Amino acid sequence: MSLLSVRNLVIDYAKTRALDGADLELAQGETVGLVGESGSGKSTLGSAVGRLLPRSALRTEGEVVLAGEPVFDLPPGRLRHLRKRHLGFVFQDPIASLNPTMRVGAQLRLVLGRGGDVGFHLGRVRLDDARVTRAYPHQLSGGMAQRVAIAMAMATSPELLVADEPTAALDSQVREEVSDMVFSLAAEAGTSILWLSHDLPAVARRCDRVAVMYGGRVVENGPAREVLGNPVHPYTAALAGASPAAAAHGTRLEPVPGRPPVLTGPAPGCAFAPRCPFAVERCEHERPEPVRVRDQHVLCHRAEELADQRVPEVTA
Amino acid sequence: MRLVMWWSGRALSSAATLLGVSVLIFAAVRLMPGGFAETVLGPFATAEQKAELATRYGLDQPVFMQYGHWLSAVAGGDFGVSMISRQPVGAELLARLPVTAELTVLAVLASVLVGVPLGVLTAVRARPGGGGAAGRLLSGLGVSVPEFVLGSLVVFVFSRYALGLQVGSWVPVTADPAANLATMILPAAVLSVFSISVTARTTRDAVMGVLVEQYVTAAVGRGESPWFIVRHHILRNAATPVVTLIGTTTAYLLGGALIVEHVFNLPGVGSYIVQAVGRRDYAVVQAGVLLAAGVFIVMNVLIDLLVGALDPRLGVTAGRRS
Amino acid sequence: MKLDKLSVGGLGCLVVLVLFALGGLAGLGGDPDAIVGPRLQPPGPGWWLGTDNLGRSVLPRVMEGVGTTLLLSSIAVLLTAALSATFGIIAGYRGGYLNELVMRLVEVLYSFPAIVLAILVAAVLGPGQLAALASIVLVTIPLMTRLVRAAAVAVSQRDYVTSAVISGARLPRVLGRHVLPNVAGTIAVQGTYALSVGIAVEGGLSFLGFGVQPPQASLGVLIQQGGTYMIAAPWLILGPGVVLVVAILAINVVGDGLRDRLEPRETRSLT
Repeated sequence: MSLLSVRNLVIDYAKTRALDGADLELAQGETVGLVGESGSGKSTLGSAVGRLLPRSALRTEGEVVLAGEPVFDLPPGRLRHLRKRHLGFVFQDPIASLNPTMRVGAQLRLVLGRGGDVGFHLGRVRLDDARVTRAYPHQLSGGMAQRVAIAMAMATSPELLVADEPTAALDSQVREEVSDMVFSLAAEAGTSILWLSHDLPAVARRCDRVAVMYGGRVVENGPAREVLGNPVHPYTAALAGASPAAAAHGTRLEPVPGRPPVLTGPAPGCAFAPRCPFAVERCEHERPEPVRVRDQHVLCHRAEELADQRVPEVTA
Repeated sequence: MRLVMWWSGRALSSAATLLGVSVLIFAAVRLMPGGFAETVLGPFATAEQKAELATRYGLDQPVFMQYGHWLSAVAGGDFGVSMISRQPVGAELLARLPVTAELTVLAVLASVLVGVPLGVLTAVRARPGGGGAAGRLLSGLGVSVPEFVLGSLVVFVFSRYALGLQVGSWVPVTADPAANLATMILPAAVLSVFSISVTARTTRDAVMGVLVEQYVTAAVGRGESPWFIVRHHILRNAATPVVTLIGTTTAYLLGGALIVEHVFNLPGVGSYIVQAVGRRDYAVVQAGVLLAAGVFIVMNVLIDLLVGALDPRLGVTAGRRS
Repeated sequence: MKLDKLSVGGLGCLVVLVLFALGGLAGLGGDPDAIVGPRLQPPGPGWWLGTDNLGRSVLPRVMEGVGTTLLLSSIAVLLTAALSATFGIIAGYRGGYLNELVMRLVEVLYSFPAIVLAILVAAVLGPGQLAALASIVLVTIPLMTRLVRAAAVAVSQRDYVTSAVISGARLPRVLGRHVLPNVAGTIAVQGTYALSVGIAVEGGLSFLGFGVQPPQASLGVLIQQGGTYMIAAPWLILGPGVVLVVAILAINVVGDGLRDRLEPRETRSLT
């Protein structure tokens, strides 16, 4: 049962294109990791799910369907209701996502409404201390503030929680704790997760499925274990190869040469072609369509070829 | 506690500024054409009066001692004597203060009650690219018409054509509130045009700054309604620059009041100062300027207190006023 | 650097005004001091903006007025810009007690309402063009210095400045080559606003009689003279009044355009 369906979403800003035809499906109860470097469009996609983009962003094509509703075509009242009932958001900078002039307890009470139990929700994220309730956001540590943000996002037991690099700004010791907390809370409440990150192995460890983004499109999408262990798309393979965590002891880390593209319009072909070791002529001027290889959906003209070979031929 | 310390720091700093202001005024008066004795007593002073003044103000003493005497005199409320009226300046200022105060208060009220909501509204509706040309022209017009131009035009229109409100014939508020308001409404309106526009602009900037903060995005993402967000998240957080602006506006309004009183012929402190400069009644100028600057400085210290109460991050970050 | 249409319009208006003033200098509108006809005549042939209480044609007087006002204010603002840039950059970059001293002085000046400070200056210097000039400078210096200082502080913490210092660049070079160009934007924007403030201050001061002195004309003087005869001859005030407002508005619009260009704003909707 598809909870979230993003189809061919194209988002343009004044001079740049952030999403160039992105596709994503998320089923009820699933956890999906969305992986990409900065500029890949993952934050835009995450924000687009809730139609939280700035005014200068235009939806040129495509649609986002959440819980059966077309997000970009809803009137304001229905949109607000959709957000309230079905969505929860957690952002990267924990302290910035809280109102700086309001005490934490008061903010939570505002979200819960009159009948809400602030203590209960703070307890769920292990912040039961009375001092936290009376504190202002800037007095909290990053980890504590993020837990408050999580409590606020999960307060209405949303069906989908979108987490935009929620642990990137936290100390490494706290990261694990906070990630654990998010996943266990979500599992308890039956909430699906869309977890945005640039760290492929970390995401693959916890999520059911992984989607990899490049140049404003989802270039590979499949079960986490498969995408990490047997990547089909050359970019995913490169990401897995370049990551310190995934490297076997003694092997060389291979960084991906070149830089991610900045699009000003639709990409003429495959956005990764300039950096791809397997690119052929077709890749330069023909846009790839999704191809099913094994359990993954891949945007690559040579997907089947590359998947069949253990050590694919390098052409560039 | 930290807040009290921060505020005390600002209060002390303001006291130092006030001192600096007094030095500047003292120096200015000493530099004015005409001897100091003449400046204070007028050109018809007799030898005895000059001698008495010399000892009273210690004119035979070094400059900074003279300053000290002058300062202590001022602190005691002795602002000297007006050359024209021969009355103590302090008393005359006090008599004229209510008019200026009423004018300024009316203008501040108008700025807050009209300017702030206008600013919030235009900020919430803002489109990328800075908004329509018509809106910018209108708000630009509000800040581009000096009081003396608008005031003169208003006096002309209401004198030439009987439109109900009279110019001149000021009545004290204690005598007849309704008549008083009738005479004050036009000058107050003229005075407020600029400050309403500036307040609206500053509010708009402040609110737009808050609108792109992450906690507002988070609130929108939670499905909170625009009015709810404005009330709980935006107002409090956009308040600091707006409240600070109100302090700055006061300085502007004090100056504007000067001109408006002159144009509308109201018996306030402002018109008093203007007359005094024309007649070289320097004791009055000295006292009036000190009063204007002093009020502004005190106002700012109070605003600092208010801002400190509104924003809990101050005191920790030792917020600067500008 | 491209500006939006409104700002270009404002700039156009200013060009027209400058041409207008230059035309006055060249005597194109007539002689501002010559009596050309009966007193207090409405606009008509021979005197396209009417005549004043002495029978002088208003048109050349307005042209002279624009010239005087613009020239005076521009010189004053250039002076202010130079002084604020110097003090602001030094205070912002060096910090320490120099910073404190400059900021304290600026704060003292800032505590006076603009007109009040102008009147004080006029009382000390005696009424006239010098008083007008000095008033504008003293009134506009505080705000500009503060803003330049803030910008200088921000810039001096950037890496390229630190690396210049580390590689041994001497102070004047660091200030001139690295800090100044990046503060120039702030100076340009605030200088524009200062110009509009300056024009208003000169206008107010001259209107009260303490600035430019008759028979010389500035827009403030003309408005004051017009005010006396306003009931009988409204054109005496409308001419210079409209020109003054247009000038200030045009400058403000250009300033806004510059500011939007240098500090563009992202917006978001609340729905």
